[in-house]
Amino acid sequence: MYKYDYIDQTLVNERVIQFNDQVERRINGTLAEEEFRPLRLQNGLYHQRHAYMLRVAIPYGLLSSEQLRTLAHIADKYDRGYGHFTTRQNIQFNWIKLEESPAILADLAKVQMHAIQTSGNCIRNITSDAFAGVAADEYIDPRPVCELLRQWSTLHPEFAFLPRKFKFAVCGAKEDRTILLCHDVGISLKKNENDELVADIYAGGGMGRTPILGSLVKESLPWNVLPSYLTALLRVYNRFGRRDNIYKARIKILVKALGPEEFARQVEGEWATIKDGDDNFQQSEWNRVANHFTKPAYKSAKSMSKSDLIDSAPQHEQAAFARWLERNVKPHQVPGYASVIFSLKPHGSVAPGDATTEQMLAIADLADQYSFGELRVTHEQNLVLADVEQSKLLELWHKAKAQNVVLPNIGLLTDIIACPGGDFCSLANAKSLPIAKAIQERFDDLDYLHDLGEISLNISGCINSCGHHHVGNIGVLGVDKDGEEWYQITLGGEQGNHASIGKVIGPSFGAEQISDVMADIIDTYVKHRTADEPFIETYRRLGVTPFKKAAYLNRSKEVSSVGAAV
Amino acid sequence: MSQVNSVLLYPKGGKPSIITNDWQVWHGDGAELSNLDQTQKVLVPFSWWLANGQADAKHADSIVAKRIAAQTIGVWFAADEDILKHAEVIKVGKSMWPLVGADFPVFRDGRSFSTAALLRERFAWSGEIRAIGDVLIDQLILGARSGFDSFALRADQNTDVALKQFTLFTVTTQNSWRDRRSQISSQLSNQQTGAL
Repeated sequence: MYKYDYIDQTLVNERVIQFNDQVERRINGTLAEEEFRPLRLQNGLYHQRHAYMLRVAIPYGLLSSEQLRTLAHIADKYDRGYGHFTTRQNIQFNWIKLEESPAILADLAKVQMHAIQTSGNCIRNITSDAFAGVAADEYIDPRPVCELLRQWSTLHPEFAFLPRKFKFAVCGAKEDRTILLCHDVGISLKKNENDELVADIYAGGGMGRTPILGSLVKESLPWNVLPSYLTALLRVYNRFGRRDNIYKARIKILVKALGPEEFARQVEGEWATIKDGDDNFQQSEWNRVANHFTKPAYKSAKSMSKSDLIDSAPQHEQAAFARWLERNVKPHQVPGYASVIFSLKPHGSVAPGDATTEQMLAIADLADQYSFGELRVTHEQNLVLADVEQSKLLELWHKAKAQNVVLPNIGLLTDIIACPGGDFCSLANAKSLPIAKAIQERFDDLDYLHDLGEISLNISGCINSCGHHHVGNIGVLGVDKDGEEWYQITLGGEQGNHASIGKVIGPSFGAEQISDVMADIIDTYVKHRTADEPFIETYRRLGVTPFKKAAYLNRSKEVSSVGAAV
Repeated sequence: MSQVNSVLLYPKGGKPSIITNDWQVWHGDGAELSNLDQTQKVLVPFSWWLANGQADAKHADSIVAKRIAAQTIGVWFAADEDILKHAEVIKVGKSMWPLVGADFPVFRDGRSFSTAALLRERFAWSGEIRAIGDVLIDQLILGARSGFDSFALRADQNTDVALKQFTLFTVTTQNSWRDRRSQISSQLSNQQTGAL
């Protein structure tokens, strides 16, 4: 993975000094809270319900074991012994003291980490495919482009006070694992007919109050001119994005208002004047960065079939091991290797995406022993060891069991994506964690879960949609009605190449109804599915009607008392 | 009309310093331009320039023409001004205005960073560009790199702290009006060292 050079290291060190001074001025009263707020946000520091929350950047979800150990120590030293991996591949600590935050940033800088631009109205941490560089369906390893763009966007002077936050995703595989079309800018990498690296640029996607899929605004852009093109795009947004209404300030609203063609034309006009400038990446820069993403020292190993692997386990463990192989182990580019997903979604015990200090330390050790000392964070809030020898899978499974991260529920109903919700977040209208817990407890039967197959269930505690409910096959959104917490259900969302936004089925439900409603929706699917048909296909074939009917049957009185859908 | 007592001047390639401010900012309301002391330097709203100033400039005996001759008139751009729509006016203005300003209605409104960048890149403006309005210490680095070289800091800002901002970072990871990214500048200096 990428290692800082003198320049990167100096920058994060100097950033700590800058922030330390800002915090001191805040504490001595010479810097007002209103003016300090965007400064702390651009260093990842939010003020939440109970305390400050610090969001640490994990650029494109890639992490070394040494970095994970530092995160574990931060959780232990400055927080309550756990961290929360987020849907943007970052990690959050929930119980931070303002006066300690510069010291945390200093600890992070020692392991080449920071919290720069993990919040605020600026270019946020760039997300990518958690299986970058190893996925069997990859065209291009997106990580060099991600890293080059990370550097380019870090402390960019012109775009630090945009109308609103700005999120990049970069992907380079056949299957999109980045929710590319739900980002302010989605960069899809490919090779052109001359074998040159080019990018298709999608703009104006997003979730939130107005979920919209991004539109293709530029095709086959040479990789090296990304800085000038993105400068043009951001400049158009910075100048003309709305600033009068926070809910209409994202680039998606501008792209929608202008129309994607007109937006693309304006960007093109701006770009024409700067496209040949020296902002653009040089081959020497590519070489320096790409050199960090060469393949690790894979052993030459024979590919093992699934039945060989299962047979390697003792008889009494074979069923459970097979299930884990099926759900939590993914194919790899290199014969004899596989990628392993550790589930941070144990049923009903912790918040989705949470990991304790003890777990982080143990997982860091496993990464050292089994995966070249590297890990990835998925936007589904799980952890990945990307380069595991197939012959070591059984051994790894045994060891990881002790950390409670081998539940074979990846991609299943209980692999719930959820934001921290009203338990922590001051923006939330409703709690998301108790809903996730109730659903996981209700569907605790692994046989049944496996029989149901792939279903994504995403929960957001408010319309900001950090829990990505719009793209869940089943989405749950917390809403506030007269000070009470209610939950709206959407169906039909999907991420990936067939990304789509779910549709609201009707009036919202009370918290205590959600797991029953979920059971009715699932029963409807089971009743109507054809052999092997996944939930989303059944939904598309039948439409919302039978699901809606089941969800509201015998509940019409309860739900009607709270009025129409929000 | 507003005027701060001092401004922070930070010329490209130079050092930052605090100097006495001799430019007033006229907001286009209240007092007429004609009521101002003729020797007082003044920045007028660009919108006013479009509506009145540019026509007046053509009459040699107008106040505007006299001020142009005396180098005591410049314009300031509101944050929502689309300067690219007025390229011709600005090109002509380059020979008339010793100074232009760009306004920050509130410190967290970043539009004027793009205005300054465009003035430098597109209009090759080599004169002074001054940040006016809600100009605070912690946005100075951004402004200085986007294209500003003077700052009419809000009156309550500590100028000692302000002057220290520009040395906080010794490296950069993208080009700006002021500097090339360190990766490229260090490669260049390595090449030069190698050549020696």
